[in-house]
Amino acid sequence: MSALRLEEVWFGYDDTPVLKGVSLEIAGGEAVALVGRNGAGKTTLTKLVVALLQPRSGMVRTGGRITEGKAPEDVARLVAYVFQHPDQQLFARTVWSEVAFGPQQQGLSRDETRGIVGDALEQVGLEAHAEVHPYVLPAAQRKLVTLAAAIAQRPRVLVLDEPTQGLDHAGVDRVAGIIGSLTGDDVAVLAVTHDLAFVAEALERAIVLEDGRVAYDGASRELMLDERKAHELGLEVPPAAALSAALDLTGRPVKVRDVVEVLRVGG
Amino acid sequence: MSVRLGGVSFRYPGSDTDALHEVSVALRPGEVTLVTGRLGAGCSTLLLVMAGLAPQATNGTRTGEVTTLDRDPATRDGRKVLAGRVGLLLPTPWTQLSGMSFTVEEEVAFGPANLGWRRPRIAETVEWAMERFEVAHLARRDPRTLSGGELQCVMFAGVLAMEPEVLLLDEPALELDPAGAASMYEMLPSLAEERTVVLASTDLDRAVAVAHRALLLDRGSLVADGPAGEVLGSDGAVATGCSTTIAEIARAVGLTPGYPLTVADAVQRMRR
Amino acid sequence: MIVGYVAGKGPLHEAHPFTGLVLAGTVVILAVALPAPQGPAALAVALTALALLAGLPRVLLTALSFSMPVWFFLGVIHGVIGDAPLRALTVGAQIAAILIAFLLVLATVHPARLVDALLQRGVPFSLAYLLAGALQAVPRLRRQAADIVNAQRCRGLRVRGSVWRRVRAIVPLAIPLVLGVLGEVDERAMTLDARGVAAPAHRTALKPPPDSIPQRIVRWLLTAAAAALIVWRIAG
Repeated sequence: MSALRLEEVWFGYDDTPVLKGVSLEIAGGEAVALVGRNGAGKTTLTKLVVALLQPRSGMVRTGGRITEGKAPEDVARLVAYVFQHPDQQLFARTVWSEVAFGPQQQGLSRDETRGIVGDALEQVGLEAHAEVHPYVLPAAQRKLVTLAAAIAQRPRVLVLDEPTQGLDHAGVDRVAGIIGSLTGDDVAVLAVTHDLAFVAEALERAIVLEDGRVAYDGASRELMLDERKAHELGLEVPPAAALSAALDLTGRPVKVRDVVEVLRVGG
Repeated sequence: MSVRLGGVSFRYPGSDTDALHEVSVALRPGEVTLVTGRLGAGCSTLLLVMAGLAPQATNGTRTGEVTTLDRDPATRDGRKVLAGRVGLLLPTPWTQLSGMSFTVEEEVAFGPANLGWRRPRIAETVEWAMERFEVAHLARRDPRTLSGGELQCVMFAGVLAMEPEVLLLDEPALELDPAGAASMYEMLPSLAEERTVVLASTDLDRAVAVAHRALLLDRGSLVADGPAGEVLGSDGAVATGCSTTIAEIARAVGLTPGYPLTVADAVQRMRR
Repeated sequence: MIVGYVAGKGPLHEAHPFTGLVLAGTVVILAVALPAPQGPAALAVALTALALLAGLPRVLLTALSFSMPVWFFLGVIHGVIGDAPLRALTVGAQIAAILIAFLLVLATVHPARLVDALLQRGVPFSLAYLLAGALQAVPRLRRQAADIVNAQRCRGLRVRGSVWRRVRAIVPLAIPLVLGVLGEVDERAMTLDARGVAAPAHRTALKPPPDSIPQRIVRWLLTAAAAALIVWRIAG
């Protein structure tokens, strides 16, 4: 049973179609990037996944449940969504209560909640700031708070919208690490992102949306090593992959770490 | 020299550390100056100080001398004289909306109207600015219905329509997709031909191609000031994560400083 | 529900912004000073007609949904205390009239036009802008509230169901909403500064709203009528 499945989904605001017959399937444990030009339909697709929107035709099945007729709160146990701008989401008085909101809505006991929240805060590195007001934290850390809140929902599917925007190296590494451990726990991760360098490091599969349709669905590294195709789809090959191709490195690595390794050994 | 800072320190209200510490720098028109550093190093603050908005709008204390186009931008007189001559663009477009416009055209005209220009002159400059940023086709749209990227281009057009001599850009392409960001950055050198352009950015892979000069900030202090290639290729910059991905790879592989910054540079170095 | 500017072409939209404002002000005075209950009742009917004429029937629905709880409350109070039902009718009609008038003004006076009109009369820009900002505060708050509620629904917040549940759900959002809007105001003030607002020049009105003699006359008449009414009520 797939974690996320879309079948011939059509959607449009008013008369203009934004998604034109999109089909895709993601299994638990997969880390998938959703990329494409602005306006291609990426954010719309994520809203359909969490039932903030309903498809005009076609089917969306999130965490095994069809979203038709459902509201976002009905699928909150199955899918968690981290919005692009944390300030659209933050509302509690402390980081702790912000992160605890999800588990509380799920009716978990105080002890269970405490364990889950502590765990989530540790994963994002904010245990020390548990009693702080979220708005006091710098923007990058506010972003990590919303990520912790989503992790605390313990969903089957995690949807991230531009997870690395505004983060520094350390922040990006942390997010990559979290995705790795989540997929290790069989969670399906879908990340809308423009950051192809991040895709290379953390998301092994890429789905490219172009003008409302799926233009590519396959290994992200294949896309990165094909400069012509990437350009066609409005994407930019990240520097590590470009170097790998230019120097014709053995095994054509795309991750920074791997490129360095191969170069040290001798190409 | 269009912008000059002499031993400037700035501290936000309620903070116990300087956001900027003893910064001295002199900028001139004709080049794109990159301002970079780790998150929180003071890059945005530096731009705000140059615009006079720190301390004027942010409050806080400033010491040292700031001269932008021969005036102190934080004084009342300075503000009046410099109105419209120093343009500032922030990373998020929605908070820059005037809230006073029906259409994109009116939004772009907001600045020029404030400067009291005659309507024909406003119409001309608005048309030019919208063409430059390729948003002319959006002229009649309600700004609130635009996407983040489209709106940011509109805001940039609005700033440029005032014909500023100094252009301060804080992560201007944050909301844009890669193609849009590349377009925007590529425009900067030509904009700099007649103006002083300052670009605060952590997107160094992109910035390296358009910056002539670079200022490196670390916890409020200016630690490097020179040609962009030199500053970004130095060991200090690369070791602290303030350089391009290629430079980081080069350092990790064991090359010597004066690291290559682009794929082309790296290929050249490594083929030797 | 309509609260805030709605694009349109009716007579109120075409009118000079001051006409709408004077109208709203006059309605408040008329509602309070006209002999009850026929006065306020006739006023409410007249405003309903105006709303329809202006092409904004949805404003009436909004006014209705805001007034209903108040009317219900009034009905209960007067029912329980056994007061004259005419009193309840009067207050109900007054509320309806004032609500409709204000919603009509909000819906037909665009902040930009109002600012341009004020600038024409020599009002300093900062003051004019403040007023325009106030007009936009409600729709902006609503949009932001909607965003936050959506985000919390994705975390499991239940908003369907009893009214009480809905209220309980919205309450925790009030503070961050206000904080968020205030923070925005700060940043907006900063960027406004960067867009020439401090310029010594007199701001050019981009599309100064055309005024006409008939409208001027209407405004004077309304103001005079309101003033006369006040004098009459005080004297008699």
